[in-house]
Amino acid sequence: MSERFAILNARLVDPASGRDEAGGLIVEHGVITELGQAVKGSRLVDDGFDGEMIDARGAILAPALIDLRAAIEPAWTPGGETLDSLVAAASAGGIGTLVLAPNDAMALDTPETLRAFKSEFRPRPIRLHLAGGATRDLAGETMAEIGLMTEVGALYVSQGDNAIADTRVLRNLLSYASGFETFVALRPCDATLGAGAIATESEWAARLGLAAEPSITERLAIDRAAAIAELTGGKLMIDRVSTDEGCTALARARRRGLEIGATAAIAHLTLNDVDAADLSASKRITPPLRGEEDRLALVEAIRSGLIDAIVSDHRPLPDATQDQPFGDAAPGSIGVESLLGALLGLVHDGQLDLIEALRPVTSGPADLLGLKQGRLEAGAPADMAIIDGDAPWVFHAADSHSNRRNAIFESRRFQGQVLKLFVNGAMVFTSDN
Amino acid sequence: MTRAEFNYDFPHQRLVSITDLNPLDVDILFERAEHWLSVCRTPSKKADALRGLTQINLFFESSTRTQASFEIAGKRLGADVVNFSAASSSTSKGETLLDTVRTLSAMNPDLLVVRHKACGAAKFISDATGIAVVNAGDGMNEHPTQALLDAFTLTQRLGPLGGRRILIVGDILHSRVARSGVQLLNILGAQVRLCAPSTLLPLDADRWGAEIFHDLDNALEGCDAVMALRLQRERMAAGYIPSSREYFRFYGLTHQRMETAHPEALVLHPGPMNRGVEIDGALADDEERSLILDQVEAGVAMRMAVLEAIGTLARSNEARR
Repeated sequence: MSERFAILNARLVDPASGRDEAGGLIVEHGVITELGQAVKGSRLVDDGFDGEMIDARGAILAPALIDLRAAIEPAWTPGGETLDSLVAAASAGGIGTLVLAPNDAMALDTPETLRAFKSEFRPRPIRLHLAGGATRDLAGETMAEIGLMTEVGALYVSQGDNAIADTRVLRNLLSYASGFETFVALRPCDATLGAGAIATESEWAARLGLAAEPSITERLAIDRAAAIAELTGGKLMIDRVSTDEGCTALARARRRGLEIGATAAIAHLTLNDVDAADLSASKRITPPLRGEEDRLALVEAIRSGLIDAIVSDHRPLPDATQDQPFGDAAPGSIGVESLLGALLGLVHDGQLDLIEALRPVTSGPADLLGLKQGRLEAGAPADMAIIDGDAPWVFHAADSHSNRRNAIFESRRFQGQVLKLFVNGAMVFTSDN
Repeated sequence: MTRAEFNYDFPHQRLVSITDLNPLDVDILFERAEHWLSVCRTPSKKADALRGLTQINLFFESSTRTQASFEIAGKRLGADVVNFSAASSSTSKGETLLDTVRTLSAMNPDLLVVRHKACGAAKFISDATGIAVVNAGDGMNEHPTQALLDAFTLTQRLGPLGGRRILIVGDILHSRVARSGVQLLNILGAQVRLCAPSTLLPLDADRWGAEIFHDLDNALEGCDAVMALRLQRERMAAGYIPSSREYFRFYGLTHQRMETAHPEALVLHPGPMNRGVEIDGALADDEERSLILDQVEAGVAMRMAVLEAIGTLARSNEARR
């Protein structure tokens, strides 16, 4: 890619500014220098523009997606998801910034681990970040070295899928992390009330005999964590709100003026517990799929801005953990490549408009964590995706760049596909070949 | 305004808290400590200010340096000093604190130097016995003689502390040294700064008359002196901080860090030190900057000043009876 190029005849969609208009954009040395209706081929020719001109043919030009929650598998896992396969899948999915977050298989809980990972990030075509484990082994008992991990570059710290049962640990954690201005991401769950749950308490779960947790679990956890955040001045990120009760608790905490960020996983915005009624292992995720009223509340929370970010919650898992009955299967689904398609489904269904749908994967997470990308504006890094918003396709995990097949959206029909992805002004994906 | 104009004498029959003192009291103690400091540097260190008085060092918490310092101070003033340590005491046999101190009080001591893990212990014992008590540390509450000797040590090098910028860094939450120190430095008109991870700072520390910092480099800017507090290992076990290496990285005093402070900034530590945790060994040993051994020397002199002031009053009260 040359140092200077232009994208013309695009539909510029920028959630940060609310811009949705026909126009073009000029990039120089990895930075957007000009954009808008005035950027046209004829003018550039008159101006003697010497860079490449890419004709978007009316397609959407939006900021590249930012995904705050994805995972790979430990090194040398046979057939496992590697950085290469993850990055290939993410860039095909329009993701320009991806955060590897901790989980039980990879706790990411020491500065040494983070530093070793970072050395592998450098040559990759998209922006990769790490979230550090908030407690050792994510056990919720001993605080990890948050200061050193922040210094090594942890974007935030996270407790993975695990609860912190000990309220004093929670207090020390939020208090300590506040000294480093670091967000602490906590899944809104309860160590005992949600223990062993694989579904949400409902008529459906009762009939199928699934171990289930009541959806107020989320309310309890958010109220508790928010109270501690208020006491300590800690920066709390609610990691995957999934219920109506959770949204209500979150709104209540926000009204108290607390600095609380919140994310939701794409699966909870697009699927409900009825989708899991076939009891296929691929529908087993954490948190479990919720009721339709919960899903609707989440969509509303996206529209109102209550939720800052939508995450793929990409979690590749070995086939052996999926060739299992629902109750025994390991929870999780791959998702970086299907994130945009599923999100645009909400737009095609009329549940969200395009700006509302893209904000929580662009400027929403960028503003939350203070990232410069995630917006189309002069001076911003040229992280952009050209998207055909209407192109129909069917997601098959077998065709995915990901090394794993555990996909909650397997065989789902989507409309909307990435044509080209640029990161820092370099084209890192094109659907041409 | 000087003491002479008011014909003011030290009025306190006990020292349980820095809040009992006013600037004139501190003046008197500093003046006498200076005197005793020079006496202690001569071969004949013995005086007879407390001759005939009995001083019991009642240490329910183990201590080497503070107990030795009080013992030497009392002996140099001519008092009969008895050490009572909890490990070998009747409290370990189930006796209540009140019975223990009543028993000792029946032996007619004139001065009790008390250290106990419970906050308010020195005051409790003083109230229960009516005997002159010097608080040598009560829980996380106060350690007034440590604050006095620290300020005195600094005064010896810097002159009056009014307007001087002094930083205390470390485990403020659990520190009686910090609680007494901040109060005394405020009495002396110093600009006090506190720096610690949020977990080791009390929630209301910003109302102590001190500026609060979480970043040591910012906190050190322009400081005339820094006191590092001891970080106890049990704080790590209790989850206040993740590890000693992380603590040293962000809150450990080093020569490099000191560069943001005043070029001649001084370093204090109340001991015992954890080298490589709260302070770098090379800095602690730097004779130009480190006052750590001066503090120990000044400790004896300051305790002599305190015991003298309180003991003299105790003697005259007894005579009046």
